[in-house]
This record gives sequence, structure tokens and C-alpha cells, in this order.
Amino acid sequence: MAVAAAAHGEHHDGHDDIIYRETRDMRLMGFVLFLVSDVVLFSSYIFAYIYLRDSVPVWPPNVGGHQLPRLDTAFAAFNSVVLFGSGVTMHYALENWKHANRGRFNLFMLLTIVLGLGFLGGQAYEYAHAQIGGWSGNIFGASFFTLTGMHGGHVFVGVCFLIALWIQTSRGVYTQDKYFGLTAGTLYWHFVDVIWVVLFFLFYLW
Amino acid sequence: MATLAPGVPTGPYHAVLDHIHPEPTSFIRKYIFSIDAKVIGIQYMITGGIFFIIAGLLAEVIRTQLLSPNGAIVSAATYNSIYSMHGSAMVWFVVIPLLTGAFGNFVMPMQIGARDVAFPWLNLVAFWIFPVAGVILFSSFLLGAPDAGWTEYPPISLQGPPGTNLWCVAVFLVGISSTMTGINFLVTIFKMRAPGMTFTRMPLFVWAQFATTPLLFIATTALGAALAALFMERVFGVPFYNPALGGSPILWQHMFWFYSHPAVYIMIIPGFGIISEVLPTFARKPIFGYKMIAFSSVAIALLSFSVWAHHMFTSGMVPWLQLPFMIITMVIAIPTGIKIFSWMATLWGGSINWKTPALYATGFLITFTYGGLTGFFLAAVPADYHEHGTYFVVAHFHYVLYGGSIMSMFAGIYYWWPKMTGKMYNETLGQIQFWLTFIGFNATFTPMHWLGLLGMPRRVPNYDPQYTFWNQFASISSYVMAIGTVLFFYILLDSLRRGKPAGPNPWGARTLEWMISSPPPYYNYKKIPAVLAAPYDFGNPLPYLGLDAAPGATEATPTSVSHPVPSH
Repeated sequence: MAVAAAAHGEHHDGHDDIIYRETRDMRLMGFVLFLVSDVVLFSSYIFAYIYLRDSVPVWPPNVGGHQLPRLDTAFAAFNSVVLFGSGVTMHYALENWKHANRGRFNLFMLLTIVLGLGFLGGQAYEYAHAQIGGWSGNIFGASFFTLTGMHGGHVFVGVCFLIALWIQTSRGVYTQDKYFGLTAGTLYWHFVDVIWVVLFFLFYLW
Repeated sequence: MATLAPGVPTGPYHAVLDHIHPEPTSFIRKYIFSIDAKVIGIQYMITGGIFFIIAGLLAEVIRTQLLSPNGAIVSAATYNSIYSMHGSAMVWFVVIPLLTGAFGNFVMPMQIGARDVAFPWLNLVAFWIFPVAGVILFSSFLLGAPDAGWTEYPPISLQGPPGTNLWCVAVFLVGISSTMTGINFLVTIFKMRAPGMTFTRMPLFVWAQFATTPLLFIATTALGAALAALFMERVFGVPFYNPALGGSPILWQHMFWFYSHPAVYIMIIPGFGIISEVLPTFARKPIFGYKMIAFSSVAIALLSFSVWAHHMFTSGMVPWLQLPFMIITMVIAIPTGIKIFSWMATLWGGSINWKTPALYATGFLITFTYGGLTGFFLAAVPADYHEHGTYFVVAHFHYVLYGGSIMSMFAGIYYWWPKMTGKMYNETLGQIQFWLTFIGFNATFTPMHWLGLLGMPRRVPNYDPQYTFWNQFASISSYVMAIGTVLFFYILLDSLRRGKPAGPNPWGARTLEWMISSPPPYYNYKKIPAVLAAPYDFGNPLPYLGLDAAPGATEATPTSVSHPVPSH
């Protein structure tokens, strides 16, 4: 198990780089496959949303004679810009890491985390002000709060992930050549962004 | 680089495999929280075996209840819980973990010439979720076990007893375990094959695991979503499925079957893999149609994602969708038929060594084909309207799940038992066990086709007296199966106690796992072998170079230009 050997930092005959490259490829593949299965999780609820939406004559649905309002598209658009901005800063954080620019890396990590938290705050604000009858009231609330809540949960996990990575970098776990954790964090963050594009279209524009 | 045979060009990864990790010495790290895929495979097998006994006892309660038309062994409500738990346990806690977790972990890394799976720690976590989930599942009996069948269709499952929540949690957890295993196996097969083991030189069992992995980490997630929604609706009242609140019960059926149809292929494709190993070994012939068998597994896996609604023809789905689902379902018969005929051609003209695994593999061919043919009836929409919800369905899926999956597992356990334990089982008892199981199984489930066509509905505790004879016949036959199962566990225990030493390769098989001692050492291969050809060319020299062969195993020599030296 050269893999485990690499993980434990045991090096033989100067093959350290080779082991690292092979383990990194394996971890990267495993991580991407995990994201694929996560895509299916979101897709299942998106399917449920489309299916339920298709089952009523008007959308937002009419609940007990009361026509539910649409969601606040303008605010959500602003919040989306915050999230997409964090994707951009995350990209630059990784680029600066590759170029050994620690100062800028720290700046962009900070920006990413702040923007991520900002998005979550915006979402909390929106939840407090959405007039669609709550999570358990009707199919609109059920699908909206489940899907965006699950996405928000992913953003929250992502923020924790980034903070953990940042602590790791300050402890010198990663080097300029070996930074699989940062790659995985960036991938995860972009993944969360892309999911939001779909959700934004489905809930606010459609 | 002493790891490989001289002159074999290597990939970078294999150049550094000289280092062998020391085996853990403490009991806990060696047998309880082990990261060795072989130990984990055996752990899956023991745990799954325990759940198999429990779920099998539940089945015998069902059959005993049905001995008379007014059977009163259990109340009607308990009866609902018992068949629901029987199905849930057999599908998620016996067949899937055994075929992927147990056989996959024990056999697959050895067959590709690796020392372990790609992520041993993930493997450890995936295994330990499984017994915990099993305990949660069976503890639902304390709260009132789920009573809407293993499919748990709403709205009945929404009104079900509190144990239904535990059912959701347990199945969700075991789904997470499956997902981890799927990802782990796919990375292992992609990245950790021995040098020279190209895709078309992999043993067919590895191909089968390869085709199963995407089903594990894609379809299972959809089930997780459906279960989480059911849980949210039951606990927090979030409307997904309840029509009174605008939800749709049909939505559950779509989400559930989008998983559960691929799941039936999770439950059979690894079984196909086992049969593809057993038949050539005991027929002493190269497997017929290696590539066709390999690719048809992948074809089945891909097609399985587009047929789920054939479970829903009577659910009120859009009529124009019925035709494509019917046709694609029938198309699956083509890759499956390719396999069946390839196996028959493998047996054809072979000098068949009728040991127990060979008996089971041949029995599998008969019963699985039978189950596949009744599946064809159920796929046809007009026939399905008549057969849906009757004992015909029960007969069909037991023919594919018992006659297919479980029979292939029996074949696999007898086949790899000497490798796992280093000991032989009692061959005479093994053959008696086969005939008890084979005859008992067919006598139990064949009459159910007739009962179904005569109109007996499934999931009923009492029935019209006109169905009495065949029900009693099935019940008594099921006791023969039960005796066979008891004998099976006796054979295994007997082998552990008194079995003769098996030696590295008792069957004269040619895949890599038989080239090392039984039971295999912790590290599997002292040197990672180089692979020159697919493993089924009986009569030719073994296609491996640089094996640090076990005593008694033959070292391979390259003999002809048809075995080129591998270039990673």
C-alpha cells in the first residue's frame, strides 16, 4: 500500500513525488465521484420540484384559495452575485497559492469566506421574509426550503471546509506543489456555485 | 526495482511498491477495525449472513402463516410488518452488501493484483455503518415495524407505525455505505491494476464490480433523497407525497424505482461475475465471449437507468410513456441473453468437474433464465395489467433474487471458501445442500406463478380456499429450503473445525488470487505481478510474471509472441 505509505509520509528511494502524484490522482477521482453522487442528490429534489410544479395548474400554487406570491427575484439576484463573487475569489486564492503568493492567497481566502457567509446571511434574511407558507405548509415551501436549505447546508459545509484548509495552510500542511486539499476545496466551492445557478433559474426566473 | 519481474516496463506507481506495511498486531486493529479489504470482506459476509438468517426466519413465518387459508400464526398487522421487514432486510442488508461489500472487498483487489482498495479507511467506515444500520432496522420491531412492504409506498407509509422512521434512517445509512463502497471500488479498479492488466485482461468478476459501481454511487443517492423526503414528511409534515397537501404519491414511486430498478442490477451483476469465474474453472475451458460478457455488464448497467417506470404501469402514469419503458425493459434481455448463451457455450464440450460451485452455477443458469423470462411477461404492458400485484410478481423476483443472486452467492462462497479460510468444505454435504436448496427453491416458487395467474394477490395474510393446495405445497417446500440453509451453515462450521487444508489453488483456477497462499497474506502480493493476458486460457501457461508464488503454485513463463510484454 504505497498509498498509505504516502499518507504517512514514508518515503523510499526518492519516489516521494511519484507516490504523491498517484495518491493525488486517486483522491481527486474519488472526490469527483463524490460530487457526482451529490449532483444526483440535488437532481432528485429538482425532479421532485418539477414534478410537483407540473401537478398544479398555476405556479406559485393556490393554497386554500390564497394565491402564493412569487419570490423576491431582485434580492436573490444580488445574493447570487455575492456567491458567484466568492467563486471568483476562490479561483484567485488557488492561483496565488500555486504562484507562492501567500499574502494574496490569504486575502482571497478571507474574501471567499466572508462572501460565503454573506450569502448565508442573505439566505437567512430571505427565509425570514418569504411569504410562501413555510417549510411544511405547501408544496412550494416544501420544495423551495428543502432545495435551497440543502444548498445552504452545502455552502455552510464549504465555509467550514475552507476555514479548515486555511488553518492547515498556516500549519504548513501544503506546499507549492502539493496542495490536494486546496484543489478539493476549490472544486467543492465551484460545485456549490454551479448548483446555485440551476436553483436560481428554477425558483426565481422560471 | 525488485518489485517486478526483470524487463517489465512499469508505471510510476508500481515502481515504489517494495515497501510492505507491517501487519497490525492488536486483535482490534486486525479483526475488528481492520483496514484490510480481505478482513472487511469477511466481516461483511458474517454480518450479512446473520441478517440472512433473521430475514430467512421472517420468510418462514410468512410461509407458515400461509399454510392454511385462515392462518392465524400472526395477526394481519404483524404479517404486514413481517413481509415488509423480510424484503427490506434481504435487499439492503443481505444481497447488496454481500455481493458488493463482501465478495467485492475480498476478491476484487486480489484479482487486479493490488494490496488493498484505494481508500482503506473509507472502506472501514463503510463497513461499520452497515451493522449499525442493521441494528436500527431490526430495532424498529420495538416501535412497530414498517408495514407498507419493502417499497413503502405513500400514503400508507405516511400512516405507518413509528418504526417506519427507523426504517428510513437504516436504509439511508446503508445507502451511504453503498455509495462509499461504489466510489472506492471504481477508483481502485481504475487506478490500482497490476501492470499489464489492461481492461480487457481483467477477470470478469472485476468487470462485473466495475459495471456495478456507478449504480452504487448514482442510483443510491436518489434513494437517499426519496427516503429523506419521506422522513421529513413523516416527522416534520413537509408535503412531498401526501395528496391532501398537494404532494404526489406517484413522486415517491418515481424516485424509489429510479434507485430500485438499478438496484436489482446491483444485486445481479456481481452475481454474473461470480458465475463467469466459476464456469470456466470447472468446465476447464476458456470462457466463451469474454468481451461480450464484459461489455454486456456495462450495457445492462447503463440501460438500467432508463427502465424504472415499468414498475408503475398500473400506477396511473402517462400512457404514452408506457411504450418506451416497455421496449427498453425488453431490450435488457439482449445483453442478458448474450451472457446466458456465452455461459452455455462455455459449458459446451467442457470436461465439467461437478463440484458444488459448478452445480450452483449451472443451477443459476436454469433458475435465473426462468426468472428473466417471467420478467419479460411483466414488462409487457397488457400482461402486466393482469399480473401486477399478484403472486406472479413474487414468483418472478424470487426467481431472479434467490435463483439468481443468492444461488450465485452460494456458488461464490463454496468457490472462494478455501481461499478465505485455507480449508476445504465437505464436498458430499455441499452437493446434498445444493440439491436441497435447488429442489426446495423451485418447489416453493414455481407454484406461485400459477397462484398469481389464478389471481391470488400478494401481501395478504389469508386467502381464498381455492388457493390452498399450492400454498401448502410452497410452504412445505420452503421448509426444505430452510433445512438446506441450516445445512449450509453447518458445512461452513464443520469446515472451519475439521476441513482439510486447501492449498493455494484447489480448483486449478487461473485468476490472480489463486496464485498466492490460502488464506492470503496481509499484503496479498510480495511482488506486484505483471499480467500478460486474460486469465481464462486453460491449457496455456499462466499469464503472470514476477509472482512471488506461494508454495505449490506455478511460476509463469512467457512462452509465445501472443503474450506480449506489458507496457503498463
